[in-house]
Amino acid sequence: MELILLKAALLFYLLSTVAFLLPFLSRRALPRWLGPGFLLAAFSCHAGAILSRSVTAGYIAVTNFYEALSFFACLTAGLCLLVQLRTPVVLLGAVVSPIVFLLTLTAFVFYANVQTLPPSLHSPWLPIHVTLAFLGYAVFGVAFSASFLYLVQEKQLKTKKARLLFRRLPSLETLDDLNYRSLSWGFPLLTLGILSGAVWAQYAWGQFWLWEPRLVLSVLTWVLYALLLYYRTAGWQGRRAAALTIICFAVLLVSFLGVRLLPGRHGGQFG
Amino acid sequence: MEGSLAKRSADLLIVGLNHRSAPVEVRERLAFSNGALEAALRRLVDAEMVREGMILSTCNRVEIITSTTDVAAADEKIKSFLAETQGSSRSVFEEHLYTRVGKDALGHLFRVAASLDSLVVGEPQILGQVKDAYATASEVGTLGEVLHRCFHKTFAVAKRVRSETRVAAKAVSVSSAAVELARSIFDHLHDKTAMVIGAGEIGELAVRHLQNHGIGKILVTNRTFSRAVELAQEFNGTVVPFEQFHTHLYFADIVIGSAGGNDYLVGRATVEEALRERKRRPMFFIDLGVPRNFDPRLNDIENIFLYDIDDLQQVIEENKDEREREALKAEAIVTEEVETFWQWLSGLEVTPTIIALREKAETIRQHELEKTFAVLKELPPHAQKAIEALSSGIINKLLHPPIAYLKSTGRTGEADNAREVAVIRRMFGLDEDSE
Repeated sequence: MELILLKAALLFYLLSTVAFLLPFLSRRALPRWLGPGFLLAAFSCHAGAILSRSVTAGYIAVTNFYEALSFFACLTAGLCLLVQLRTPVVLLGAVVSPIVFLLTLTAFVFYANVQTLPPSLHSPWLPIHVTLAFLGYAVFGVAFSASFLYLVQEKQLKTKKARLLFRRLPSLETLDDLNYRSLSWGFPLLTLGILSGAVWAQYAWGQFWLWEPRLVLSVLTWVLYALLLYYRTAGWQGRRAAALTIICFAVLLVSFLGVRLLPGRHGGQFG
Repeated sequence: MEGSLAKRSADLLIVGLNHRSAPVEVRERLAFSNGALEAALRRLVDAEMVREGMILSTCNRVEIITSTTDVAAADEKIKSFLAETQGSSRSVFEEHLYTRVGKDALGHLFRVAASLDSLVVGEPQILGQVKDAYATASEVGTLGEVLHRCFHKTFAVAKRVRSETRVAAKAVSVSSAAVELARSIFDHLHDKTAMVIGAGEIGELAVRHLQNHGIGKILVTNRTFSRAVELAQEFNGTVVPFEQFHTHLYFADIVIGSAGGNDYLVGRATVEEALRERKRRPMFFIDLGVPRNFDPRLNDIENIFLYDIDDLQQVIEENKDEREREALKAEAIVTEEVETFWQWLSGLEVTPTIIALREKAETIRQHELEKTFAVLKELPPHAQKAIEALSSGIINKLLHPPIAYLKSTGRTGEADNAREVAVIRRMFGLDEDSE
């Protein structure tokens, strides 16, 4: 059941990517709901897959690389839909869809069967910690997409060469606003994610902090986002904010993958 | 009369002139004022020749759109109608008129409403004008089944062109290009402030355009203070003394330069200062002055976007190219729609012909039966019945092939199907008055 749903989700992600990107490649107009529609279908299947796995496993399925990546991708897709609902930035889907498709595909490649969970992880803190942190990541993913589009739009306004491909970009103000709103949601989520992790570590390992490269990376990410948010509230607008958002997200991705791939007790193989 | 419908049945006829066929002196002579429209419509339409009629009169075109039973006579009638109602001799306008019949007329109508026949292709007003003209004719009661159906289809086609092509999407004037750019920088304009420096004509036009798009606040400054006050009153804006406009610059999200003079009015240092004051929120400088008002290097500053008149011209050129490409797509849509709608209309013409054919046969049969029964008075009832059955059997068998043929032409609706209908009507003498 889980695999069928996952494959269906992959197919729909691919379809939504095509539906979002096709208007740029050809001049044929597609119905507007097509991209969001496919994305919604993909999200529903994906959420179903995660739910079905969680039911089989008896815990929320976010404990190995496949599960984590899949969970992250699913949250990002859901968030993108939510944002589309409030601010119809069609192009957001064009950026998010392919990313989510690739993330899910990677997760699929690393597919692993349900494992028995070590007792130390059997805790209500698992879903709390992971959901908070991943929601934060997903929101930052939206901020990244908005910033990416901002830089493209800014570039073509500056050089005065509006390539017809990008004629349909939203205004700089819309994108900047989306960036700021995402950051102001993402940062508290990330902070709570890290704090809940510390509390859980205190229960599970008897200490709230481990000097592991992965944890250090996570905190570095947090510091960078704190700086970004500080500068934004102090009045940084536009290009600089967008560029820093992109750097922050790159570090976040490294830390996210690092948490899974670098040696240590957190995530990956459980000690 | 290529593609025209069969005689006796209603045919579309458009007689008109537009910005390409006639100079403005002629167009203004033939234009109908709104007040005169109703009386003119009543005069145009009679029960016989011009069955239905509508008048579309804008500054770029005058079109008399009719449904008629006799194209040549109606054409003649419309020309004299124009001469009489507009008090002008026919020689003044006759050579500028074009006549479109049947399928061509339908295509013309679609193209006009979809703004493909406009001076500025894709301009949005024309559809509204067509709708108004339709509403007026509808109220006066000069529309019948044919034109009602044609216009409903016309509006649907215009809508389809609008939603499936981007023929109307892009700005093609300097001031609308400026607004278009402003809207790719700012999300909405109602909380934004525009400052206009100088009192040049295009500057004024640009401000007016911004105002139409709901700009929040307008600041006006000019070397001559009284002129600034005048402009500010016109735009409902606020005057900033020319000597102080640098210190007010940071209020402005959009700065329009349309002043004379050879020196740059705004340089880098001024803008850097303003940006600091407004926490680096983006600013859009529109330089409409020749020579230029703003230092071109402003564009190098982060969050500053500077467009001069040539840049705007460039944007317009690109937009025009895009419009032309989109117009090709739109033409294809129109051609397709004309084909399908024409088939449908021609199908409508087939049905009355079939009915007429059956009625004619039935009349003949009744007539002949009466004559026969008058001679054979002693015929028993069952023999009478047998003769009636025989006669209706003969006409049904005889009429079956032509009716089947008519039905099939109605379905396929080929281009010359109307002509075939006409042939059948003539063959069976359907249009001759009964003896």
